[in-house]
Amino acid sequence: MKKLLSLALALCLVLAAVPGFAAELLSAGDTYPLNSDKTVTWYVQENMGPHEKFVNWTESPFHTGLNANLGVNVEWKFPTTGTTPAVYTNTLMADPRTLPNIMTGYFMDQANLLLEDEVIWDLTPYIQEYAPAYYAFLQTNPAYDKALKTDDGKYYAFGFFREDGGWNDTYLGPVVRKDWLDECNLEVPTTISEFENVIRVFNEKYGAKFSFAMSLFQFNGLAGAFGAYGTSNAGWSWFVKDGKVGLGQVQPEFRNYLKWLNMLWDEGLMDQDVLTLDDTSIKGKVHNDQVGISVTSMGQMNNWNNERIAKGQEAVWVGIPYPKADDGSLSSVMGGFGIGSYTGVITKTADEETMKLCLQMLDYAYTQEGFLYFNYGTEGTSWTMGENGVPQFTELVTADTDTEPMRKYNGMTYGGTGIQATNLLYLKNAPAAIEANNTWFYNFEDEQQNLAVTGGWRWPVGVTFTVDEMDMINIYGGSIGTYVTESFTAFLTGTMDIEDDATWEKYLKDAETYNLSKILSIRQACYDRYLAR
Amino acid sequence: MTVNTAKPAPLKEKSFAQRLLSDFQKHKYKYLLILPIIIYLILFCYKPMYGLVIAFKNYRPTRGIWDSKWVGFMWFETFFKDPYFWRLLRNTFTISGLTILFGFPAPILLALLLNEVHNNKFKRTVQTITYMPYFISLVVTCSLIKIYTMENGLFPAIMSIFGMQRQNLLANPSYFYTIYILSDIWQGIGWNSIIYLAALSGIDQEQYEAAKIDGANRFQQVLHITLPGLLPTITILFILRMGNILNVGYEKILLLYNPSTYEVADVLSTYTYRMGLENQQYSLSTAVGLFNTMVNVVFLLITNYISNKTTESGLF
Repeated sequence: MKKLLSLALALCLVLAAVPGFAAELLSAGDTYPLNSDKTVTWYVQENMGPHEKFVNWTESPFHTGLNANLGVNVEWKFPTTGTTPAVYTNTLMADPRTLPNIMTGYFMDQANLLLEDEVIWDLTPYIQEYAPAYYAFLQTNPAYDKALKTDDGKYYAFGFFREDGGWNDTYLGPVVRKDWLDECNLEVPTTISEFENVIRVFNEKYGAKFSFAMSLFQFNGLAGAFGAYGTSNAGWSWFVKDGKVGLGQVQPEFRNYLKWLNMLWDEGLMDQDVLTLDDTSIKGKVHNDQVGISVTSMGQMNNWNNERIAKGQEAVWVGIPYPKADDGSLSSVMGGFGIGSYTGVITKTADEETMKLCLQMLDYAYTQEGFLYFNYGTEGTSWTMGENGVPQFTELVTADTDTEPMRKYNGMTYGGTGIQATNLLYLKNAPAAIEANNTWFYNFEDEQQNLAVTGGWRWPVGVTFTVDEMDMINIYGGSIGTYVTESFTAFLTGTMDIEDDATWEKYLKDAETYNLSKILSIRQACYDRYLAR
Repeated sequence: MTVNTAKPAPLKEKSFAQRLLSDFQKHKYKYLLILPIIIYLILFCYKPMYGLVIAFKNYRPTRGIWDSKWVGFMWFETFFKDPYFWRLLRNTFTISGLTILFGFPAPILLALLLNEVHNNKFKRTVQTITYMPYFISLVVTCSLIKIYTMENGLFPAIMSIFGMQRQNLLANPSYFYTIYILSDIWQGIGWNSIIYLAALSGIDQEQYEAAKIDGANRFQQVLHITLPGLLPTITILFILRMGNILNVGYEKILLLYNPSTYEVADVLSTYTYRMGLENQQYSLSTAVGLFNTMVNVVFLLITNYISNKTTESGLF
């Protein structure tokens, strides 16, 4: 009964947030189109690129439509197909004189360096005048404003925000085959012991194993049930607890988590292929009854179900809550506060006039009109306003059989410089996936407690290192990521004995040769400055 | 009457410029032919060398190469002090060494075997089939390898017939070299044998006839005629290969390794890739690259010296 109640409560919370609060809050901004005869180059690292069906952006309704709405001749640039997007951006950055005027990518870490070296514009003197909608939006929430400034209060970027404030930052979590669960007369597991029991029963009855694509498990996995933070990805293991920055993988709780994983591995309950599995190769196992319980994303779970339906089978995959410790505690799940680290900056290749124009262009996504365009495309073409005042996609999108057809018309399906409407996520995903996201996100009834578990433990988005700190991290911090990731696998597979105290001690001691304390103190100083903003 | 006592001036030796000029006039068109290559070398091999100075600077793209701060050998120090330095070096030498040990003779063997085949149709079929893998994209090859080596994949299945435990081969560090080398040979054997087959066709057939008359069997013919005939080609290719001893293709390793095999698979080139392109540490990765090249040059010189001493054929 209590569970039902909390679920209902959760649903209410989400639904309450849906009817376009952002659109109401947003101001009108400048008058568009801007009717400029300038040509502006705009580079997009990922997410906001043209749909795969299009040869290039000139065929993409979103990009050509945006050019028309802005009234500016935008020349869009994207990484060449086949390259790693982040690496492509880095190669561009190597020659600042030829950068596109607007760059969208991950620039927060280096903000100070880019400002000091005058690669990007300091927008502080101009933002209020030329990006009024964006500026007004930042002022609606102190957390937004804080994240999008440097320590000395400089504005330098346009950010990505989720209207839901973090709900969809928890876009992955544990999933289970509901039909097997029913066949075995098992309840949905809520604690880690029950979770383990499901793995065992499925293994006994169906020969299935606990399996997952490492790329999705590596963020936080099931660490929360052990009071731990982070899994194999070092980037995700810098956590904050009571104002102290720490590295998740050297905590005693993390050792307990590793012991559990290693036990599963040793007893043959965990798939030995997890180290090499990706989202594509795991499907072979999913569709051959070799997996019954897993950790995956909303989108992938959607795919698994749809592929079953396409074969004439039932959709059986459902999301289940992140398992808690047996005493009901939970330290962390994958999550955030609805602020992305994906940002748009204006480079110095734009002269002052062009920079002002770029500000107006980037501001569009944060106006009422632009918010709708970035999320749904052109009204009357790809969407219409439903009776309840909520936008609905037209048949142009709903009848399209390509993957994620809305990406042809909008820019916020994954993220970019703008605000992602929660309604968009509702339209994009199947009800089962939405339901799954609810179970992953709403871990506690108490809102504050829930926020602490989902986003509160994370190294915050928008922290900026000083130029000296960046240098120090370059010199000393290069290999710690490799070290913890590698040790994680060694402990998992038993190459290093997790039960052996001496091995663990040595692991902790060795972390020092990779300058752990030095890096922690740099990060602590950086975090303290962020708090003081 | 004055007598000119001065000796007649000796015939003045022509200066380099003069010789070049007369040579140029004689061979204009040959110079024209070589021009594109010279331009290529200047643009792509010599001009970028200037960029090497960033190994000694704290390079920041905005400041440009010249205005970045000098830091001396700091990046080299950082690299040598990196806890992974010895491991990277060891892995690079191991992978490269094994590739040379097994991968280098493989195409020679194939060429020798093909040379002994007298059925032309069969020979061509074999040649075509062995070339083919060379044209498959590395990404495809590696995903095939990944699928075949999964716990329930082809190779573990075969191994289990012989009583070995089924496991994901790529997750086990002890199989990494075998997989790497074997797939390398599979992919390159046909392609690399072309040059040897070409050299084989240049061996004088009369030598074989003479050997037959002297009563040499097929194996003796191979040993005393074919192999010595191939030796110059083998030597030159070997010296060139030694000059690349630290260049292990990082693409394939990046595609095949995972954290459980870093211990044996992480090499200098993957490290450079991670540091330079993923972490944007241009100076550090240039320093590593420079170190890499220095070691290569040393190996090239040593091999060439040994080769000159022993076989009297070498690059220079």
